[in-house]
Amino acid sequence: MLLAFRFALASERVTAAAIEANEFPQLSQELGVWAVPRIVVDGEPRWDGAVPEAEFLRRVLAA
Amino acid sequence: MPILRPEEETKVREWFAGLARPVELYVALGPEETPRAGSGDLDFGAEMVRLCEGLAGLGDRVTCRVEEDPEGFSRFPAVSIRPDGHDAGVRYDGLPWGYELGSLVGGIVEAGRQEPTLSTDSLAALEELDRQLTLDVFVTPT
Repeated sequence: MLLAFRFALASERVTAAAIEANEFPQLSQELGVWAVPRIVVDGEPRWDGAVPEAEFLRRVLAA
Repeated sequence: MPILRPEEETKVREWFAGLARPVELYVALGPEETPRAGSGDLDFGAEMVRLCEGLAGLGDRVTCRVEEDPEGFSRFPAVSIRPDGHDAGVRYDGLPWGYELGSLVGGIVEAGRQEPTLSTDSLAALEELDRQLTLDVFVTPT
């Protein structure tokens, strides 16, 4: 989670939100959240699980 | 009930004392979704206020502001972590229970830094970014 926050703090073009899945069940269901952390980029679910910074960057830019 | 154990509170006080710039916790309250099963009578909004005011009490550079149904928020309760009171696009939607409280504290510490802590590669890539990027990370308290 902190990595996403750090990306947002480093760039005005990036926003990052942690979303507590249990409190927003409808949204979680729509995005198929079965495992956490689930990373959603520009509204599209991309992957589950924490990854190192370089891999996070690669996946985000490829999205 | 305190929000942190004594040893955790000591650590968080140390971190907050080292903040290079002020951080505002902008708490947004509004209509909430149906509470999850097992949450009993818990008032999520009130608990969010208690939690953020509690964190603000652990450092002079951390403040808490509460607004009812502010613009720009679609999920409640939420807290926007704002370096120098500026909306930097960093937010926590929902109550940061248990382990997730660490994410909120970590977000405050990161927002309180004067310089980003990313690698030079990441900073260079973000510098070249030519579009808006929205990152949502779904989490649970355990």
